Amino acid sequence: MPGPVRPYLTHWIGLALALLFVSMLSCTKRKNEVVVYTSVDQVFSEPVFRAFEREAGIEVRAVFDTEETKSTGVLNRLIAESDHPQADVFWSGDPVRPFLLIKRGLVEPYLSPAVSGLPAGMRAADGTWTGFAARARVLLVNRGKVPSGETPRSIRDLADPRWRGQTSIANPLFGTTTMHVAALFAAWGEERARAFMNDIKANDVRVASSNGEVKRLVAAGEVAFGLTDTDDAHEALGEGAPVEVIYPDQDGMGALVMPTTAVLLRRGPHGEAGKKLVDYLVGPEAERMMAESAAHMPLRAGVPTPANVRSVSDIRTMEVDYARVASEMERIQPWLRQWSGL
Amino acid sequence: MNQRLHRHEQTLFLAGAAAILVLFSIAPWLQPLGEIAAARENSLALLASSRVWMLLLRSLLLSSAVTALALLIGLPLGVLFGRMDVPLRRALWVAHAFPMFLPPFLLALGWFHLLGRQGLLGGESTAALLFSEVGLVFVLGVTLAPIVTSLVAVGVMGVDASLEEAARLVARPWRVATHILLPAASPAIALAAIVVFALALSELGVPMFLRVDVFPAAVFARLGGVDYAPGEAFALALPLVPVAACLLILERRFVGRHSYAVLGLRSGARAPLPLRRLRAPLTAAATIASIVSVAPIAALAIRASRGSGGVATILDWSRRAPLNGVLAAAAAASGISAIGLIVGHAAARRERGASVLDALSVLAFVTPASVLGVGLIAVWNRAATQMIYGTLAILVVGYMARYVAVGVRVVASSVSQSPVHLEEAAAAHGAHFARRLFRIVLPLHARGVMFAWLLAAVFCMRDLETAVLFYPPGGEPLTVRIFTLEANGPESVVAGLALLQVGMTLAVLGLGAFAFLWRRAP
Repeated sequence: MPGPVRPYLTHWIGLALALLFVSMLSCTKRKNEVVVYTSVDQVFSEPVFRAFEREAGIEVRAVFDTEETKSTGVLNRLIAESDHPQADVFWSGDPVRPFLLIKRGLVEPYLSPAVSGLPAGMRAADGTWTGFAARARVLLVNRGKVPSGETPRSIRDLADPRWRGQTSIANPLFGTTTMHVAALFAAWGEERARAFMNDIKANDVRVASSNGEVKRLVAAGEVAFGLTDTDDAHEALGEGAPVEVIYPDQDGMGALVMPTTAVLLRRGPHGEAGKKLVDYLVGPEAERMMAESAAHMPLRAGVPTPANVRSVSDIRTMEVDYARVASEMERIQPWLRQWSGL
Repeated sequence: MNQRLHRHEQTLFLAGAAAILVLFSIAPWLQPLGEIAAARENSLALLASSRVWMLLLRSLLLSSAVTALALLIGLPLGVLFGRMDVPLRRALWVAHAFPMFLPPFLLALGWFHLLGRQGLLGGESTAALLFSEVGLVFVLGVTLAPIVTSLVAVGVMGVDASLEEAARLVARPWRVATHILLPAASPAIALAAIVVFALALSELGVPMFLRVDVFPAAVFARLGGVDYAPGEAFALALPLVPVAACLLILERRFVGRHSYAVLGLRSGARAPLPLRRLRAPLTAAATIASIVSVAPIAALAIRASRGSGGVATILDWSRRAPLNGVLAAAAAASGISAIGLIVGHAAARRERGASVLDALSVLAFVTPASVLGVGLIAVWNRAATQMIYGTLAILVVGYMARYVAVGVRVVASSVSQSPVHLEEAAAAHGAHFARRLFRIVLPLHARGVMFAWLLAAVFCMRDLETAVLFYPPGGEPLTVRIFTLEANGPESVVAGLALLQVGMTLAVLGLGAFAFLWRRAP
């Protein structure tokens, strides 16, 4: 081998092997850590994890969802990994996805001592899930496109021919919109719910990729109003968009409220640390952080409700059995895919 | 015993490379096949849906449009930068080419800050155009055009000087370029078109960001549905397999073992062709093209600079992601160049079985990354392999599975340009295969192998689609972190993280350039 080449190659190969070794060492399991998968927006969930790290001295390793597969991407990864679970905790952006894990026997019941102050209806008696920091489904209305006397008050207005082609919902295969549609199937029954969905489709509702996209469409005046979540609506108000937030069906079935939920996973690699993280998430500090940074509605009386958001006790809420909504959600998927065209 | 071992050394080396290739790139496909069988009825119903085929057709048309735009931009620029007397042509080429090393969705983000509703040059109409099929073709066309430019430039630089000199005796420079240089560089043009088409077809981040329906996004979305049914997602990916096979056949037919120049290996110092009267307008056109290429990066820089937190906030949000990405990419690139050396050399020398391995590697490159991701979970999430699945090593495996073709093709091209006599002479004097490989082939093609490493590292660093489905907890590369933060994160932070990715890529390319120059030094 020519003189200058040999040391050069030796260094090169040595460097490559060292890199491979460091890669193997990096992210290996350590005792003082916890692994969490979450469908709560990274920009809001990560500061909560960091606060927990500071308080508990336990490192948090997280996997976050993408916007387009919100709430289901990490959920499906949990299912795919179920033979050899990698995660200790699932922090869901809604209360129904955990039931898909409970049904598959992937959840470890855990009654956290930190739940005091949370309403009984927002957590499972057997400790399989605990709800906190909620959002509601709202109508976001562009004030420039909708005269004040004609403000929509019900989600049924999405099917009103007067608003043909001027409304928007997010893709009902993902995120909170799936849950909302499933809740309607549970509340109204198959026939009426299907008719409603077909009516809004016939009314040329614009199907956006996410609730954030619905917000953008309404804020920009591309549609007159749309169905989205309180945190997205709060963001639009914060950006100074000419919008109004309507909690729908206040003289009828009420608005759908969705707490985020913490779930301890069975056979997680760091069970005790997982319990500590669940304790922290369902405690008042995490709820306060979610209210302040993500405009979530606190479920505890002692945590202040953010500006531009109404407290859960101030609005008429839809009566829902989250377990039933979860089973409806799974059941209607083939029909929803047909509705969506895929 | 040793004699027998030496006799079969090449077979053993090739078998080792084949085992890695099968384990990393092929095994993830076997589990999906089982899933498809399990979900046979639903899979068939899905494939019977007209929307699936319309969506595929739409994606093919969009990718064709992207390829056409990239060729339209890249062909003339390639000739200009490669052989014409454009002032500062190397600097302009570097500026124009750099964005091709970045994740396309970062550039889409840059175009958003430029042409979006509240963008630096934007308004209602530009935003409407950007978030449409036109915007998708524009963003991907401009982003991928430097691949055409660079391959064509290197191709025309490698054209036999005697051909060019003979033509110049009777023809004007521009006629020489269009009638001699471009036809002679046609394998490079074909390769560029195939690579651009494959990258456009498999692109996930840009269509998702610009909210344009495309086929790979449908596969990705099917993996994210509530009723987790990977079999159906894999069935949905099946129509892409014949498309990938067609690309492979085209690659074999038009590129294959043609000896197109890599790294200007055959580019002697030749005076550039004079443009004469066309010099000023064509220089202006080349300058504008280079400015357009870097415009989205400039927009990201401006957006990042308007944030309140400064560099500290951006670094705080980046966490370990930059290190994760660089480590995994560097380790994967090392593996890719090692396999590339063995398989690429064998393919160039037409050894038995090498062409199959070469073809498999190309197939893995052009098929959907999301399916590969789920297959990798099935193969590697086992008790015995937690040291791989639970660590950054799974990213290394994923990157190698997807991008091994980069190493194989670059080394094959490099080796195919050198005569086999030296190796034959060494063999005649009793040098066994390993000795010939490490003492003749590797030193002779050290620059080719280094280039394979560099290109593979950059491909891995810009990857989003492969890593997003299975990155280890807390081990996401920067591209994934930007993607998951993009929807709701502060715009200035996301722009700042994108700039960090730009800086990291610049640093890796700079190190590569330094290594090349150092290697060249006497």
